Amino acid sequence: MSIEVSGLNKKFGDFVALDDVNVTIPTGQLTALLGPSGGGKSTLLRIIAGLEKADTGSVSIEGVEATHLPAQKRNVGFVFQHYAVFKHMTVAKNVAFGLEIRKRPKDEIEHRVQELLKLVHLSQFAHRLPSQLSGGQRQRMALARALAVEPSVLLLDEPFGALDAKVRKELRDWLRRLHDDVHVTTVFVTHDQEEAMEVADEIVVINEGRVEQVGSPDQLYDEPANDFVMSFLGEVTHLGGISLRPHDIELEASPQLAGSVEGTVSRMVRIGFEVRLTVLTVDGDEVSVVVTRAHARSHGLQEGSTVWLTPAAGATVVPRMAAAV
Amino acid sequence: MADTLIAPVADEAPPVEERRRSPRVRKTPVTYLLRFIVTAYLFFLVAWPVSLVVTNTFDNGWESIRSLLEDPDMVVALQLSAYVAVWSVLINTVFGVGMSLLLVRYEFPGKRALNALLDLPLSVSPIVVGLALVLVYGGRNGWFGPTLAGWGIDVIFSTPGIIMATTFVALPLMIRELVPVLEEIGIEQEQAAESLGANGLQRFWRITLPSIKWGITYGVVLTLARSLGEFGAVKVVSGNVLGQTRTATLAVEEKYLNFDQQGAYATAFLLAMVSVACIVIVGIIRPKNHN
Repeated sequence: MSIEVSGLNKKFGDFVALDDVNVTIPTGQLTALLGPSGGGKSTLLRIIAGLEKADTGSVSIEGVEATHLPAQKRNVGFVFQHYAVFKHMTVAKNVAFGLEIRKRPKDEIEHRVQELLKLVHLSQFAHRLPSQLSGGQRQRMALARALAVEPSVLLLDEPFGALDAKVRKELRDWLRRLHDDVHVTTVFVTHDQEEAMEVADEIVVINEGRVEQVGSPDQLYDEPANDFVMSFLGEVTHLGGISLRPHDIELEASPQLAGSVEGTVSRMVRIGFEVRLTVLTVDGDEVSVVVTRAHARSHGLQEGSTVWLTPAAGATVVPRMAAAV
Repeated sequence: MADTLIAPVADEAPPVEERRRSPRVRKTPVTYLLRFIVTAYLFFLVAWPVSLVVTNTFDNGWESIRSLLEDPDMVVALQLSAYVAVWSVLINTVFGVGMSLLLVRYEFPGKRALNALLDLPLSVSPIVVGLALVLVYGGRNGWFGPTLAGWGIDVIFSTPGIIMATTFVALPLMIRELVPVLEEIGIEQEQAAESLGANGLQRFWRITLPSIKWGITYGVVLTLARSLGEFGAVKVVSGNVLGQTRTATLAVEEKYLNFDQQGAYATAFLLAMVSVACIVIVGIIRPKNHN
């Protein structure tokens, strides 16, 4: 196991950033720390990197106890949301930095820098200053810089957060492919569940300083441990005593299935091929339901129609929690 | 991917032309009136007096400057001024960088008080600074002076006192120049360097120092100009011993009072030229895209 975090606590004044966090991050995989802003995921990453000190708890990297090791001795690569490029150095110099600090021979550095710039598609920009690069290019340079020292783990703190949507998507795909080539243990922080689901082998969901669930994207989506994980990974509605996804509700114009709940369509919005309904049940629930346009049409649905709702067979459901509304 | 590779370079910054184009303001009589006031104000307060120093210096061509440089006491005074200014710049640079880092990077009790204290040299009269130094380091009655004198170190009426007074007076200039620069660059670059294996000293030399070098340069120019021109505090602590502790600014006053106006103007001109030269040199070597 590449990174082991146990019993980690961290407070900023009165604010509890991490509350007894225990996580094990597997070697060679791409792991996402996913959660809402202010949930403690960046703090966890920075503690792993040694840029922040935990109040209590321990961190070990590749079996080496690292809790009290300064950042410069942990051999981790860190990529910042706002790139943290060395503004006064050329792209090549930026990438060479870690190697120069390690006093590697000149020709080896030169060779390695060329290799890395090729890997991140920046060869033709080697002699430019970072201020002459776009955001996406700067972030790729930062990634090459972090990879140059052959870190035992690569940590990325919201690496695409400052980029526009299109570049973000490109870089996301590119990171996935890069990881398939390089295979360095990688942990990245994101608050974007789509990004995590698309890129990561494993996701650690963190909320209010606690780990809510650890699992593969499919596990998280299909078997959420609780209401929070379920609602964070996608839209959720409540029917009877359970939480489930709006598209996992069967809707009929007459009571055909056992246990179906009667309700009235109070609102109907069509977006492309899907129709979003708000149904007021006789139990007093307000349920969101998503059906296809064809389905809605065949049942002759309109505002005021009476319908019967049933959880679909094989739907992901979790018991509804008191706190979740 | 391909289109981001070949790249809109710098997609964040708007093109230069766009930034320069400011909304056209219609010129009214008020515009011209304001321009006239500003020009007249600067002319009568700055340009005219300074230009008179220059013209008076060169009333007899280079004669006044030559006679100045042939007077051994004057040469000593100029050398002393330069010596003191260099020391003041050195001391203020080292402590200014350290103090600025302390103020920007660390939280500690009394930080606000320290911050306020740093402006003191700008707000009190240099004469007060001089008197305060005499009270502490005065060789006979000072608080600490007799002890130092016992060790054979004279501060007041001697070069160390002049350096101290000058350093004190110019102290805030470097710090006020560096603090905003340090605040702007933040600590992420240093953290990146740290994660790449750089220790504290390497981070300082390779990251922090290059990032603030222009701030330091301006700080040095301001400190140098201020140190060369310091008069009040130096007058109190120097004792004005001809050929020993008389600086160039003190010489200007003395010459003026002794009706050697030509000499006073020439000395003043030399002092002013050094400062102007510094500013011009920095203006030339400074990179164009620096902001």
